[in-house]
Amino acid sequence: MGKFLFYRLLQAVFVIIVVTLIVSFTIRLTGDPAVMLSQGSGSVTEADLEMIREALGLNQSFAAQYVQFIQGLVVGDMGRSFVGGAPVMDLISRALPATLWLAFASLAVSIVVSIPLGIKAATSRGTWVDQLIRIVSLVGLSFPNFWLAIMLVLLFSIVLGWLPPSGMSGIASFIMPAATMGIILTATNVRLVRTTMLDTLRSQYIMVARAKGLSNTVVLYKHALRNCAIPLITYFGLQFGGLLGGIVVVERVFNWPGLGSLAFDAVAARDYPVLQGVITVLAMMIIVINLLVDIAYGLVDPRVRKE
Amino acid sequence: MTTVQTRSDTLKRFKNLEFILGVLLVGGITLAVVITHWLFPDSGTQVNLTQRLVPPMTEPGIWLGTDALGRDILGRAILGGEISLKVGVYSALGAVILGIVMGLISGYYGGFVDVFVMRFADVQLALPFILLAITFIAVIGGGLTNMIILLIVSQWVQYARLVRGSVLSLRDQEFILSARAIGVHDIRILFQHLLPNLIGPVIVLMTLNVANNILLESSLTFLGLGVDPTIPSWGGMLAEGRTYLQTAWWLSVFPGLAILLTVLGLNLLGDWLRDILDPTGRTSL
Amino acid sequence: MKNGKVLLKSLLASVALAAAISAQAGSLTIASPQDPGSWDPIDTFLVNWASVATNVFDGLTYRGPDMALVPGLATAWEENEDGTRIRFTLREDVTFHNGEPFNAESVKFTFDRLLGEEGAQGPQRSNYTAIDSIEIIDDYTVDMHLHQPDPVLLTKLAGYGAMIVPPQYIQEHGSDHFAIHPVGTGPFQIVNYARRERVELEAYADHWGGAPRLDQLTYRFISEPSTAIAELQSGGVHIVIPPTVPIGMIDTIENNRNTHVASVPSPTVEALRFNTESGITADERVRRALIMAVDREAIVDSILAGQGQVISSFQGEFSFGYDPEMEPIPHDMEGARQLLAEAGVEPGASLQIDVRGGDATFGEVAQVVSSYLQMLGLNVSIRGYETNVLLNDIIPEGRTGEMFQQKWGGWTFDFDNTAYLMYHTGERWNPYDSDEELDAMLNEQRSITDPARREDLLQSIARYTQDRALEMPLYSINALYGVRNEVQNFEAAPDNRLRLTDVYLED
Repeated sequence: MGKFLFYRLLQAVFVIIVVTLIVSFTIRLTGDPAVMLSQGSGSVTEADLEMIREALGLNQSFAAQYVQFIQGLVVGDMGRSFVGGAPVMDLISRALPATLWLAFASLAVSIVVSIPLGIKAATSRGTWVDQLIRIVSLVGLSFPNFWLAIMLVLLFSIVLGWLPPSGMSGIASFIMPAATMGIILTATNVRLVRTTMLDTLRSQYIMVARAKGLSNTVVLYKHALRNCAIPLITYFGLQFGGLLGGIVVVERVFNWPGLGSLAFDAVAARDYPVLQGVITVLAMMIIVINLLVDIAYGLVDPRVRKE
Repeated sequence: MTTVQTRSDTLKRFKNLEFILGVLLVGGITLAVVITHWLFPDSGTQVNLTQRLVPPMTEPGIWLGTDALGRDILGRAILGGEISLKVGVYSALGAVILGIVMGLISGYYGGFVDVFVMRFADVQLALPFILLAITFIAVIGGGLTNMIILLIVSQWVQYARLVRGSVLSLRDQEFILSARAIGVHDIRILFQHLLPNLIGPVIVLMTLNVANNILLESSLTFLGLGVDPTIPSWGGMLAEGRTYLQTAWWLSVFPGLAILLTVLGLNLLGDWLRDILDPTGRTSL
Repeated sequence: MKNGKVLLKSLLASVALAAAISAQAGSLTIASPQDPGSWDPIDTFLVNWASVATNVFDGLTYRGPDMALVPGLATAWEENEDGTRIRFTLREDVTFHNGEPFNAESVKFTFDRLLGEEGAQGPQRSNYTAIDSIEIIDDYTVDMHLHQPDPVLLTKLAGYGAMIVPPQYIQEHGSDHFAIHPVGTGPFQIVNYARRERVELEAYADHWGGAPRLDQLTYRFISEPSTAIAELQSGGVHIVIPPTVPIGMIDTIENNRNTHVASVPSPTVEALRFNTESGITADERVRRALIMAVDREAIVDSILAGQGQVISSFQGEFSFGYDPEMEPIPHDMEGARQLLAEAGVEPGASLQIDVRGGDATFGEVAQVVSSYLQMLGLNVSIRGYETNVLLNDIIPEGRTGEMFQQKWGGWTFDFDNTAYLMYHTGERWNPYDSDEELDAMLNEQRSITDPARREDLLQSIARYTQDRALEMPLYSINALYGVRNEVQNFEAAPDNRLRLTDVYLED
């Protein structure tokens, strides 16, 4: 187990290095932040730009800048934003919880919807109910999410006036963004619950429970669901990573102060330190989640460790 | 995989609501796009400032209304369908071909290619796609070709992993070993013996990917990073139309419906295909 | 099911509560598209910095929505004969928000900081390089010594880097602290700043001009236009400031019974400039023909919904150097065809227009322009770039198509700023053209201190550029504000610098 962990950690470090290299290099291919910062300023001379570049550390070679970034990363310092000079750490530690909360809420919405639907589909396998549930959940997956978001805002904020159209301020502000993201996951999760449930229902363990005369609801929700918990949690864990990446659009429409909009603005402003920071943090989180999933598997199934 | 099937089993599979709806949607929309484009190649590009924002069904010949430049929404939706379908299909095809080749090599030979594919997959998994796309498009520019390339780069590795996994499990099976023993060429083993046995899940994944690519294209266009603004894509029309959502609903509702129905059709087909071609569920991750 | 209903009810109750709190009397909320990240005047050049900071800081001079220059922290000023020294008489009994007094020392500190090492790291310094030094005459009199006369210096003193900052506070707490906890002499003080979300301001009762009528002022940073408008309609914000309101949403705002649009001509002008070096547009006749082919009036009337004015040169009516007598080159399709034939351009010749991909309104304009040019038989394509790529790589390096979008909004409202950067040989925004006669005129006007003579020369420059058809001037565009009806006394500012001292909310 120790060797397995060490190997995976090494792998994680490698991935972080490649990911940050790709991003840092690409973002530097166009656009001079110094020019961008002085845009609209009447008469910028080349000497003025040079001074700004020097202040931002941009006149060093890419290698030097990258090494500096990695050195800082090790001690937990990701530099300062080019726009306004805020420490990148501050920006990320403000944005990260917002994104995490939203991701959790979306996952929760999706789980709450998909478990009963999936169970219903499994128990009425092959009937029109089963098909209907699958088709309806696929409709959710097929919406362009920004369009759905705008429609929700139109209905619930402008026409009905029930929910705040944007920002993160209390439980009410979570409803629309979480629903928009959650609905996308629902189709996959319904399918997942349905498949695992079908497998479980065929198992002897459930037959015994039924034979004991337990009520249908108890069998389904207590015994069978508990049995599917492990594969489900694994899948949900993996989805979490996917959620984090796809959150940009939803954060933008709902003006959510999270990592997605932070990164989007950073690209637009060529704010290298912020973009590098956000991508690194996101990559680390995804790696950690995958690692946890792997470890869980490794504990259960010794064959995985050898790979 | 069972090879014995009775005729009634086969029939039953096609009498499935998912299949029927999926074929109707995808087939109908593709046909409409192809035929109408062939009949009226230029409808939807003509600017007419005297006919701006005409509502649907109010003037003869303008079925779905006009946009802010007086262009016909129906014509644009058809042109846009062509773009969206092209992006979806070409990028999925590209990713499949690249992915299959890399996956076969990686699974069959192992070695350097295998290490490369697996490490690339690690990096890919850790890089949030949209952020990557935003960065790349900001740098290399939007446009149809760049969009397709970006989608291929971001997706081939899924296929490679899928194929690699299947190859690994098939590699040591008897029919492969015996083929090798009698001196069948590697290329032939890969494409004649291995490929047919693992193509099912690939087709499923591809169908779902076409659907997903259409959505991704529209998301990127929404963020202002999509294809050329003059080329109507569904995503582009939707992004343009959001400004007029409350005053001229037809600008965004029709392209939105077009995306929804096409993607739904593809998803239904993919879901149905999965039951048939991938009963073990390798593509559900 | 029952539990679900209870949950929904309690959620809705919490929403209603939140709404009740935000409806507090005298508390105004504004949607601004971008967080400048730092409130330090030397750090920024974002218009969105100014739209907040105008309420927090004062300059020696002040320029309000009417564009007239009036006394700010200086009550009077006089220039010497050759324009190399300005003497300012300072306002007395002014205090910063932290209680620190304002005097000659504050002015000297401000400009020493701006022109010194600290200022050099920011984008502001370059605007004030005409200033040599500040000399304190007495507590409330300072002399500003200049390297050379700068005709727009007094205007520049009303904004951005020239905002007066508190010496003791900055020396004590440092610039990093000042950037997020700024202190000025303005009518509002910043009390809470949540990065990328909002900044909250409170009335400063001891303001020298009297306390503002509002108690509280909040700016929320919302970049997506349709989101900002949704907030406006549902009452989450009271004002949406430019450039957020898209032309296409004017009707949406006007149709809502609680909101309306306030618009005012702005300094922002748009043009499609030509590659004068290569391609068909190297020929002056072709450029003229292209301009004639496009009906700019129709574009302003339909695409811009009348929220703009056709321009004859690359400046709007507020600009110093604008000539009301000068007419745009008229729309004349037939003439354009003849001119194009004369120049020997074959039908089907290709022409590429480069635009900013994210600019929805201009995207529409470009498509209309392209449809006019297609009527000439040209094969027109539009290429969208991300704004930063277009501005940093494509234009300065001369890699554009035959035509490219240039959006310009000089805040000094002086044609010098625009013309020099656009037409002088070797300038960043002039990758293609070199014209000695034009260079000479541009250099000459910079040394003239007599405003009348300088205006004359600037007008000749404008005419000269039209004669050579250096660009297709399109229009100046209005600044659009979305405003809720309960907002009273609101005056739309052309430059986004809203000083909200007299604004109040009606119940």
